[in-house]
Amino acid sequence: MPSPGPPRRDRSASQRDRLVFALGGHDFSRRRGNEALSDYILALADTDEPRICLLPTASGDPREQIFAFRRSLADRTCHSSHISLFRLETEPVTAREHLLSQDIVYVGGGSMLNLLAVWRAHGIDEVLREAWERGVVLCGQSAGALCWFERGITRSAGRARAVAGLGLLPGVLCVHYHRDHARRHALLDASANGDAPGFGVDDGAGLLFRGRELADVVSGEGVGGAWRVDRGPRGVEETPLGVRALDDPRPAIDAPTAEIAELRRIRALRP
Amino acid sequence: MEAGNPLLDEFVLDLTGKERPRICFLPQASGDADHYLVRFYRAFDAERCIPSHVSLFRRLRAPRDPRSHLLDQDVIYVGGGSITSLIGVWRAHGIDRILRRAWERGIVMCGLSAGSLCWFEEGVSTFHGAPERVEGLGLLPWSNTVHYSSEPERREAYHQWLLDGMRPGYAADDGAAVHFVGADVAQVVASRGDARAYRVEAVGGRVVTTQLATRYLGDPKVRPIVPPAAVARTA
Repeated sequence: MPSPGPPRRDRSASQRDRLVFALGGHDFSRRRGNEALSDYILALADTDEPRICLLPTASGDPREQIFAFRRSLADRTCHSSHISLFRLETEPVTAREHLLSQDIVYVGGGSMLNLLAVWRAHGIDEVLREAWERGVVLCGQSAGALCWFERGITRSAGRARAVAGLGLLPGVLCVHYHRDHARRHALLDASANGDAPGFGVDDGAGLLFRGRELADVVSGEGVGGAWRVDRGPRGVEETPLGVRALDDPRPAIDAPTAEIAELRRIRALRP
Repeated sequence: MEAGNPLLDEFVLDLTGKERPRICFLPQASGDADHYLVRFYRAFDAERCIPSHVSLFRRLRAPRDPRSHLLDQDVIYVGGGSITSLIGVWRAHGIDRILRRAWERGIVMCGLSAGSLCWFEEGVSTFHGAPERVEGLGLLPWSNTVHYSSEPERREAYHQWLLDGMRPGYAADDGAAVHFVGADVAQVVASRGDARAYRVEAVGGRVVTTQLATRYLGDPKVRPIVPPAAVARTA
């Protein structure tokens, strides 16, 4: 990890410069739409060479997630780093100093319950609020998106239910919206009980907030949609949000490599 | 779970007095790292015991009810890593209360590094760089530090905190283990000939370190003598 510079942001940012980008599902593989979203995230920073730090806390700081993130960003104009709260680092950094010196903080997916508990144990929750207030772009996917809202629909204790997040953003968020029916139904139930505003976001789509206002809805190459979910006079209503498709000039790699395809064929032949 | 040295693993299984004890691994201090699970299942062979683990990061693949699973064990083994992250995750899932209950029932609680610190009132961790004063679950009314002889910075910080009022406690080298029955030391054992454990306390403005009699487990004639039921009675 590069040694952290002095905090670049030492004063409060205006509401419209407090950005949160919440993704319904995203990773750093070359799956369709991911690259376009990564470009979009880097462009949210107000600098040409943004410093972006990964917090992989929600899944226990797995090496694979850190490698994928670093590899994916290696050929882009940015400075990537990560902070592990579970592993020894060769060069320990002060988490607060490092996070406040970033342009973007990206929070990976996993268990929302564990994410918030570990952050609180280390005081990272307060640091992230401070970072947001100073204009560091906060983003993340799955648990890393849920955590910014008042509540998020999570399965981290088994059954899908609403759990309190950091509350930088109003209402309740549901991720993997059409991939996981239990989550969607938990959001519909929460909305029926008056939890508002509700947002449902598919894998590949993301909501950009400026201050506490929804400012943009995008998806990587049109993969995935997003919905506003509210209790109306005739019950709970899901209203599609206009999604702007982001283009990616690079060829996507959806198909497995020849070696993996061959391995799968061999495995399938085994008794 | 020392590489190539099963002496302490054998010792903790023997403490149960059972032919094939149930042992459950809690790897939360390392974020439920896959490679750590592999090490656990290699160290605790299914021939000798009934090994299992509880993951709190992948709840969908874990036992549905961690409470009944944990209370059904003979040994609960906590892995190393970050004590702060460990206690944070446990509290979020109510595991801290379940572990106290398990201990009160006489289940053998053990662990290394962060998995040692967690049982005490407080201790010294160096996981995130400079030594930090940390809180554990408080089953044992002492302070604790690990890697005692190999980390001078940790030792100095521990001594300073003892002088500042940290409660007296126990320190152990890598390879040494302190066996408590209730709040009291029953014995000190080691998987390496030179590993030791110590009672450490501030007395009259000075830190007094008392080396404890340590039994090397390499002697095959030696077996543990305390049956597990005694743990529950004295707790």
